[in-house]
Amino acid sequence: MIGGALALAAGAALFAIAVGAVLPVRQRVVWVGLFTALCAGAGGVAAAAVLAGGNTFTADFPDLFPLGGVRIEFDALSAIFVLATAVVAVPAAIYGIGYSARGPSSRPAQVAWPLLVWGVMMVPAAGNVTGLIAFWELMALSSFVLVLAEHHHNPEARTAAQWYASMTHLSLLTIVLALAVLAHQAGGDSFTAIRAGTDHIGPTTATVVFLLSLVGFGAKAGVAPLHVWLPRAHPEAPSHVSALMSGAMVALGVYGLIRVGWDLLGGGPTWWGATVLAVGLVSAMFGILHALISSDLKRLLAYSTTENMGLVFIGVGAAGMFASSGNQPLASVALAASMLLVVNHAAFKGLLFLGAGSILSATGTRDLDRLGGLARRMPVTAATFAVGSLAIAALPPLNGFVSEWLLLQSLVHSLPSNAAVVAVAMPVAVAVVALTGGLAAATFVKAFGTTFLALPRTVEADQAHESPRTMQIGLIALAGVCVALALAPTALAAPLQRVSLAVGGLADGRPIHTNGVYLQLSGIEAGLSPLLLATGLAVMMVAVLVVVRRGRLRRTVRDIPAWGCGRTVQTARMEYTATSFAEPLQRVFDDVLHPEIDIDVDHRTESRHYVQAIRYRMHIRDGFEHRLYLPVLSVVRRWGDGARRVQNGSIHRYLAYSLITLIVVLVVSR
Amino acid sequence: MLKLLRKIVQTGRVTGTVPLDAGPRPSLLLNAAHPLRGSVQIRQVDAGSCNGCETEFAAAFGPVYDVERFGVRLVASPRHADALVVTGPVTRNMAVPLVKTFEATPGPKLVIALGDCARDCGVFAGGYGVAGSVADVVPVDVEIPGCPPTPDDIVASLRRVVGR
Ligand code: SF4
Repeated sequence: MIGGALALAAGAALFAIAVGAVLPVRQRVVWVGLFTALCAGAGGVAAAAVLAGGNTFTADFPDLFPLGGVRIEFDALSAIFVLATAVVAVPAAIYGIGYSARGPSSRPAQVAWPLLVWGVMMVPAAGNVTGLIAFWELMALSSFVLVLAEHHHNPEARTAAQWYASMTHLSLLTIVLALAVLAHQAGGDSFTAIRAGTDHIGPTTATVVFLLSLVGFGAKAGVAPLHVWLPRAHPEAPSHVSALMSGAMVALGVYGLIRVGWDLLGGGPTWWGATVLAVGLVSAMFGILHALISSDLKRLLAYSTTENMGLVFIGVGAAGMFASSGNQPLASVALAASMLLVVNHAAFKGLLFLGAGSILSATGTRDLDRLGGLARRMPVTAATFAVGSLAIAALPPLNGFVSEWLLLQSLVHSLPSNAAVVAVAMPVAVAVVALTGGLAAATFVKAFGTTFLALPRTVEADQAHESPRTMQIGLIALAGVCVALALAPTALAAPLQRVSLAVGGLADGRPIHTNGVYLQLSGIEAGLSPLLLATGLAVMMVAVLVVVRRGRLRRTVRDIPAWGCGRTVQTARMEYTATSFAEPLQRVFDDVLHPEIDIDVDHRTESRHYVQAIRYRMHIRDGFEHRLYLPVLSVVRRWGDGARRVQNGSIHRYLAYSLITLIVVLVVSR
Repeated sequence: MLKLLRKIVQTGRVTGTVPLDAGPRPSLLLNAAHPLRGSVQIRQVDAGSCNGCETEFAAAFGPVYDVERFGVRLVASPRHADALVVTGPVTRNMAVPLVKTFEATPGPKLVIALGDCARDCGVFAGGYGVAGSVADVVPVDVEIPGCPPTPDDIVASLRRVVGR
């Protein structure tokens, strides 16, 4: 069954690639979309089978490459990531049919898309070093092609692709190094052999491997300070691709870290977990602050991905710290929280990116300050985007709330701890998680409000129309997944237990007990019933509505326009914009964000006391990029310029070099 | 700091008492069952006054006259207001905003015309920029005469309106 589903996934991907390469453009987008969806669906079925049945699937393809074969090892940890991929990839592929018809329908883009989906699904399924690296590179290259898909009418895509290519190859380089050292020391290429051989690995080697993989996988996960590619590449990629990249691909960074650090190496000292936790804390705060001030919708979503991956890292790091300090049950809960967050994030971030894509293709802009009033013009997009916003802001009753609740529970209950690091780190972590939750709510109030409410700010927004049917199907499907995950996270209790058992070095046991309605945590006096919570909220809302309606009936109601200080003319230019909405919070965090503000005042020629025009410009740079990357880049550039003096393209000079070399060789070897 | 404290102690209480029957009597006295009785939130609208009325009106809310102790309060938006205090003749530019402000005020509401200009355009009657008195633009419930009315007059009139 599992093998069959995986084979079907591979077959569907191959078929989609073939039709993407040969069919004419109209049929191409349809068939590629359908077969990519089939591929992702089959992968999802395989993952569900592993999570439900609890058995592991393995297969060997020893002669696939000249230097080494590929081994497939599909356990519960792989399955939860494949499930997350399928959750976003199936709707994204169907959505892609409608989206590509108006945008990235070229052959390279349509071939790369099924490749990317298949690659993302196969990375966690790989059971040996060669396989992991092969699929990893497949994923990296196909996504690179897709980032470039729209570069003809969007020059920004080129810089984005450069950043993406460099960061992704930095990531690949460190991962290859880490895995090569690991495989060499453990004396085997397959994960089983490495696990068996961990005894031969000394603590120093283990530390080196762990740190290398933290850099490599962290860069993929987009955690600070390795996130720089993310807010560039995700906005430029076609939206269904961004959905997959943000929802599933970055999560593979987390997968890799858990797999190498706590499965293959079997865990390490407390500071491993503490480092991961610290990276998570910085990323969560940094990501959400930049999301808050961003007025480009897709950039905002990309920064929020950094934030969410930060939260996942917090969970993983906390689990690592608990495991090292001997609190296995709590480690299971923390791990379960981060895995649930991965699945939830795939659903809601996928949904939000698809929504952003709808808006982009309807209005041609991602700039929040140029949108507005879309709720009436694009009702399906608006409703589904609202679901996604509620979910990502971790508000009950949607799915983001459940994972955030689990995460906070695991962090809070660590407090009577005997390990000093844990006792210091956890309160900080709780504070950061709480603060990011609040800022995320503000961010998505801004994103939803300025896009969908009030009056349209531009002609483009005014003339927007709802997206084609296929795109709506994708949006509704993902909104449905969010609601389902919100109402019945209990269904994931048993799978999460299997995941925690699969990661021997991190946790063992049963993080969540459930009777179908209640979630009960192991070792913690805490329970939650998402279903009852949602029902209660729904009942309360209906009650309030009824009361308000009845009150309205008894009173006389006047309908008058909104109060605008008695102005005779009111235009959409006077609306609260995204920038102005974020301004008060941005001021609070001025010391961190360092905005650059320019005010130019032009006076009239007759008198200095009369102002002709005022120009206000505010720009907030990415602090890490500005202070960490640009100095390094400028050094590299200086070296490059130096090298150019030696290699200046003159054939005469090259001939002279050859001559001198020849003479030197002759003299030396005489 | 010490200087300030000494000043406070030396000055003592400055708030005076204003008899209910001082000044001219406004036409309206809210009956005991009126929903606004006891507490009236006011939004002030300058429809084109010379600012004399505003100065006196502001003084009524200062520490000496302190009309707030009688349940009269100033608010920043007509959405929060029970009553509009309109000063000055209604100029042509302010006619539409005044109507809009009146519409934006939730009922039950009162319009109080403060000063002679508000009542009958005063010295500005017939000016080219004057649209008319307040009553020409919105229905007026209470008039407070004077050019400008003294704070005593204002406090007494407002007290009769709130009934405290
Ligand atoms: S009534 Fe007198 S003080 Fe008041 S606005 Fe008119 S002129 Fe000025």
